[in-house]
Amino acid sequence: MTAATSPVDRTHLHRNGTALLGMMMFMASWAMLFSALFFAYFLVRQKALQWPPEDLPTLPVMLPGLATALLALSSAALQRGLNRIRGGLTGAAMNVGGATILGAAFLICQVVLWQQLVGAGLVPASGTYASIFYTFTVFHALHVLIGVGALMVLTVSAARGRFKAESHIPLRLWTLYWHMVGVIWGLMFVTLFLL
Amino acid sequence: MDLQPIHPPPTSFLRRYVFSTDHKVIARQFLWAGLFLLAFGGILAMLIRWQWAFPGQKVPVLGQIVLSRSDGKLTPASYNAVFTMHGLIMIFWAITPILIGSFGNLIIPLQIGARDMAFPTLNMLSFWVFIVSTIVLVMSFFVQLGSASAGWTTYPPLATQVGTPGHGQTMVVAALFLVGVATIMGAINYVTTVIRFRAPGMTYMRMPLAVWGLWLTSILNILFVPVLGAAGLLLILDRVFGTQFFISGAAAVRGGGDPILFQHLFWIFGHPEVYILILPAWGIVADLVSFFGRKPAYWYKGSVYAMCAVTILSAVVYGHHMFTTGMNPMLGKAFMILTLLISAPAELLFLNWLHTIWKGSLRLTTPMLFTLGVVFVFALGGLTGLYLATISTDLYLHDTMFVVGHFHLTMAAASFLASFAGIHFWFPKLFGRRMNETLGKVHFWLSISLITIVFCGQLAVGYAGAPRRMWDPHQYPFLANLAWLNQWTSYFAFALGAAQLIFVVNFVRNAIARPNAEPNPWQVGTLEWTLSSPPPVHNFDVIPTVVRGPHVLSHPEVQRTLGRDWISQTEDLPGGSV
Amino acid sequence: MMLDKLLGLFQMPHDASVHGWRIDSLIQITNTFILIMFGVVVAWIAISMLFHGRKHKAEYDTGDGRKQMIKAACLSVLIFGVVDGNLFASGMADLNDVFWDFDRAEASPNVVRVQVNAHQWAWDFRQAGADGAFNTADDIVSLNELRVPVGAPVVFQIGATDVLHSLSFPNMRVKQDAVPGTITRLWFQAKETGAFDIACAQHCGTHHYKMRGKLFVMPMAEYRDWATEASKLGQRGNDPEDHGAMWGWNWEKARP
Repeated sequence: MTAATSPVDRTHLHRNGTALLGMMMFMASWAMLFSALFFAYFLVRQKALQWPPEDLPTLPVMLPGLATALLALSSAALQRGLNRIRGGLTGAAMNVGGATILGAAFLICQVVLWQQLVGAGLVPASGTYASIFYTFTVFHALHVLIGVGALMVLTVSAARGRFKAESHIPLRLWTLYWHMVGVIWGLMFVTLFLL
Repeated sequence: MDLQPIHPPPTSFLRRYVFSTDHKVIARQFLWAGLFLLAFGGILAMLIRWQWAFPGQKVPVLGQIVLSRSDGKLTPASYNAVFTMHGLIMIFWAITPILIGSFGNLIIPLQIGARDMAFPTLNMLSFWVFIVSTIVLVMSFFVQLGSASAGWTTYPPLATQVGTPGHGQTMVVAALFLVGVATIMGAINYVTTVIRFRAPGMTYMRMPLAVWGLWLTSILNILFVPVLGAAGLLLILDRVFGTQFFISGAAAVRGGGDPILFQHLFWIFGHPEVYILILPAWGIVADLVSFFGRKPAYWYKGSVYAMCAVTILSAVVYGHHMFTTGMNPMLGKAFMILTLLISAPAELLFLNWLHTIWKGSLRLTTPMLFTLGVVFVFALGGLTGLYLATISTDLYLHDTMFVVGHFHLTMAAASFLASFAGIHFWFPKLFGRRMNETLGKVHFWLSISLITIVFCGQLAVGYAGAPRRMWDPHQYPFLANLAWLNQWTSYFAFALGAAQLIFVVNFVRNAIARPNAEPNPWQVGTLEWTLSSPPPVHNFDVIPTVVRGPHVLSHPEVQRTLGRDWISQTEDLPGGSV
Repeated sequence: MMLDKLLGLFQMPHDASVHGWRIDSLIQITNTFILIMFGVVVAWIAISMLFHGRKHKAEYDTGDGRKQMIKAACLSVLIFGVVDGNLFASGMADLNDVFWDFDRAEASPNVVRVQVNAHQWAWDFRQAGADGAFNTADDIVSLNELRVPVGAPVVFQIGATDVLHSLSFPNMRVKQDAVPGTITRLWFQAKETGAFDIACAQHCGTHHYKMRGKLFVMPMAEYRDWATEASKLGQRGNDPEDHGAMWGWNWEKARP
């Protein structure tokens, strides 16, 4: 019997599969929550007489565009790190660390965006348009914050060599989480800033 | 290969009884918590029935304690809080922990041949998040402007600061969010465990129908509780941060939001929720009619397909709660068609139960009586749904007590009778004893008769046009002559409440007494009955291999070879044909 | 005495509308269906309990033989087709022909139009007055009292300013929610004169239970006289400074 198929390893592999399945269920839940928020967006927008309302400051596109690019790069970096580990290589710390920094940069972009808009007079109590905008962006940013925190921990773990090809389930699960956060942002970017 | 190795059992008090990761302990925790909260919800129901019988009069005993500021009487404002909290508590803090939290935890690992849930720590956390949500809920009663009072449906704008100022409503919505989190945590565990930890030979089509019910319920929980979470989140934002998702009319800023948006989000969750609450009950009924009919479950696969069909359809019928909101007529008609359609698989499931007991050898034990009780009340309640699915008849019956009678029969009565069936049935596995059969039967016959009378009383008064949520139901001249009906419904309701004390005595006495039950007192074949009562911490010494389905009862070959009418799912039968 | 009362259960309030019979008869048909089906279920359970008990030998029947499955499926489809099919067909006809057919109601030459402002905890009703236009000085505005003629369709446009309410006419068998920020619609035609109740059918706060109104159905000639008088009174009593009193809206613009 080779090392990869001993009973202990098979149990371990089974545990990984179980963890992945649980993560899928978890992400399905989050996907439904965000879907409900998008449903709210479409319903409110369709009912509104004017979108965006005339007297409110317009949303910029450059800054959120930059933020989107940063988050996409962050996902790419993290995936790179995961692929390295799965391929049996070490040294994913740089990738994971890079993903962390890029994620933090995204958050900084969001904070700057909010500061700009609040200064220009768009606050959550400015009506439905503002309500949707702030709810989407703040709620999403909270998830990014959680993700950045996790990525910091994962960077340290990677640097300590804790991840191996056959044992790296936390990295795998958080990468799924991070991609999901990125995809949701993509959808938000399109609906809030482009449509 | 042991997917779940046996660990040494915990030794400290905290690890054994408080923060246990053993699914059986968590099942008991949910059961005690659920029963306590059921009693609380029941007392609120008694207050409601008092008000319907004697509007504006002092409530005896309780009035002096909890209503002292209003001289022992229920004010309109406090009455609104009472019926709101009654509904919320019964649904989220009573049925959910008993039928799903407790039974799910107890039954799933044992019946599929596993040692525990897929994520034992997550399981433990789900109970404690539930407790935190309960604390937040209870705290809302002590807030100056009162607890939530916009109905359990929490419709804005009434549920926003416009209609219900203060912290109470906000806290209740927050508690609801938390109980939703606990529910999702549990659901993820249940779905994953069934998929990943079935014993060898335990195919999906050999699982007891109770597991199917709990599994399908959990899938619905994972998908639709988050939608309630979104609705609650947006409502809290409206209440606390001045957003305008649901506020319109005079309080609107720049056109405002849409109160109907909340109804969409709420019912996209809310309709699957009623199936969430009933699917475990259906599964339990389907198994128990077989066990106590001493016959196989009729067309097992048909029942599975029917339950799956209902699960899928439950997502697309929600609009029938909104027929009078002025929705697009095309949409309304589509919802009518789909709502009528969902009765088809439910009918098939029903027919299968009826065929199971026909020409059986019925053992009218307490669990079986409660099971037949579920069939009875669900038939009646489900049929009254037909009036509400058809839009034109719904135009008259919407928001009357007829709706209240309908959902009490299908949701409250059916779920709680199924809970009592399950508690009596699985008591040996929970507490190592059998509950007293005589007390159980008395409790059953009193409950079923009183339930029928009380909720038919609600159907009758609603048929006559009585609206819901009335502090004084006799305000309207066209209802003034129904006082006698309301009073008698209340008398029978008080009796129903009192009758539950029989169960309390039976339950508590036996739960705290010394274990003395045999492994398989009901003589049935599912895996939990191959273990001691209660089972050891690790459940199975050796993970069993399953060789047949769960309902092989009165098989001629088994009778011939083994001299009994049942065989367990793991037993080898010489000849190998069964 | 008690027996009389019990036998008198499941009575609906008097139907004073032209089209309410459709709802009443559909309810009767549904009653028949469910009594039969429930009766069968109860009898089935009772017979099983009485005759297929411990002494009866259980039949080993898994019910998944082909003939049995087809029988069960066919039985389900049959019940579904007869019962649900009937309800569906009648329900659709009711909506298409009457309850959701606002064009038909509005097309009648005698149609009476009413705008409703539902608020905590009373009903404001507005009729157009002599000039036929809403939100003008001669509108007939009343609080909690509504007068309509017999024999003409009465069409409502319903609004609200604070929370959800629901305008309900039990004796006309119809109701519709009042939603802040939207205009909803309702119509009925009374077939007899009399005084009837108006109820609120959506939880709207502390005094939801007494948000009641009174509907007076009058003979057409009497209604016309009353309307003319009331319109004159409205014109005379109108205060141009009181902008809050002009809560009405343009009827045509609010039609979908």
